[in-house]
Amino acid sequence: MDGIRVGNRVIGTQAPVTVGWENIPRVEGGPVKQFVFTWFQPTMLFALLAFWYYAPNSIAKASTAIGIGIAFKLLLLGLEWVNPRYESWQLTWKELVTDLFYVGLGYTLLRIVDNYIGSDVAIKAMQHAFHWDKLKWFTGLPLLVQAFLISFVFDFGQYWMHRGMHNWYPLWLPHSVHHYITQLNINKGAVGNPVELFLIGLGVGGFFDFLPRAALIAGAFGMAIGTYQHINVRFNSPRWWRYLFNTTEHHSLHHSQDYESTRSNYSGSYIFIDRMFGTCIDGEAELLGMEGGRRMSIREQMTYPFSEGWKTLKARFARADAMLAVPAE
Amino acid sequence: MTWRFIDWIWHVRGSLPLAPEQSNDQAFDRLAPLFDQAGTSHDRNGDTLTFRKKDPAAQDKMSVFDSGVLRIDKGTAGPMLRYHLVSRALLFCFLAPLLFVAIAQLTVVLGTFQKPSTEATDAKKAAAKAAYMPLNPIDKALGAPAPEKPRKDDGGGRGHDKKPSPTSAYVFAAIFAALYVGGRVLEDRLVRTLFKRRLQG
Repeated sequence: MDGIRVGNRVIGTQAPVTVGWENIPRVEGGPVKQFVFTWFQPTMLFALLAFWYYAPNSIAKASTAIGIGIAFKLLLLGLEWVNPRYESWQLTWKELVTDLFYVGLGYTLLRIVDNYIGSDVAIKAMQHAFHWDKLKWFTGLPLLVQAFLISFVFDFGQYWMHRGMHNWYPLWLPHSVHHYITQLNINKGAVGNPVELFLIGLGVGGFFDFLPRAALIAGAFGMAIGTYQHINVRFNSPRWWRYLFNTTEHHSLHHSQDYESTRSNYSGSYIFIDRMFGTCIDGEAELLGMEGGRRMSIREQMTYPFSEGWKTLKARFARADAMLAVPAE
Repeated sequence: MTWRFIDWIWHVRGSLPLAPEQSNDQAFDRLAPLFDQAGTSHDRNGDTLTFRKKDPAAQDKMSVFDSGVLRIDKGTAGPMLRYHLVSRALLFCFLAPLLFVAIAQLTVVLGTFQKPSTEATDAKKAAAKAAYMPLNPIDKALGAPAPEKPRKDDGGGRGHDKKPSPTSAYVFAAIFAALYVGGRVLEDRLVRTLFKRRLQG
């Protein structure tokens, strides 16, 4: 495969990828379908922002956010059914069970762990230690500005954590498991080794104090933008949307079987962070995964970072021993 | 008690009538593409085909099964394809509710160990210090509801002493129980339809 030159690098030499928005297929069907799948994403984003902005205090609670999050995912599952991007990504019973197992771990075990050693605990400790009460002025900013800053700071942290995972072997080991998925569906974001899920969950939404409503709006930004990273739905996302926000197209390229393509599009929600640091590639891929598309079993997903890390360590020490054993000339 | 009484949990058995003129080889030739997948090995021996899968791709139509035996019986009523398939995914889904119930129990046990937070008193002090957080004038003009004033009895320590709830673990246990029932019926039907379509060409 020849590949395509994008900036300083050549991508798509190992597996087929599509580069450039003009080459990406559009939604097929009548005018109503075209309209729905063009405006769905912005409509949902603005509707959610308006809801959280104006909802009375009795409704604007975390429990409502969880309920809306579940309903939104069910709606997106329906869209995957109606308008799949690729037939090869269609959800099967086994994939659904696997995905939901990880979603379940996220809602239960990981939450318990986070309760003890998560980032919220660390932030509280740091705020307490450094008497950062001085940052209370943040609560006086307009709600949408607070919300955007919370989600931006969080995503900026995620960008560097994720980029770190692709560039530093000890972090790559737990993250690599997530790259063995061979299709994108709405719950695939939850699939990965629990160590990685913990690491990527170490979100720092800033050390500021903020109004509870701002945190809920920040959550809406994450839900109405970040969810589309892993989804098997063909959208005609508006030009401004795909310039600012991460899309399935971007993220499918990140999951491609082509190594060079995986080293792009690291952000969770705001693809402009990738544009700022020169890691954004606009395009998409259908063929996803590692080792030619080998799907890992849940058992291997749980043990792989440790067994692989152990193998690497053993090989390194064996080499060092061998070098010591060679007499100097 | 033999495994046979309970192995229906993860074993799928069934049979399909074949066309009288269809030979063993013809029938297996038609089914062959199903086993021509990455990670699948199969072996044909007269009237029997055995297969084994390792890490099949999500796109593999039989990815839910790990191994199986297909045999063609020449009965009095005509040739019959009998299959016996094994799925660890079904077994896993059957056991998953137990795992989540165990997690729920763990959550309850950890909750009993959780002492009342020492921060609670600090939080009360902090809340006393915390001034009422006003809305930005822009938000006020646009009509966003003002934040609630911190209640005295709340002490600002909202959530500090909240014990972790086992509810979500119970919900997932129920989801997996439902998924198992759905999957056991669905995958049985799907594989039957798959074989039927292939055999009919």
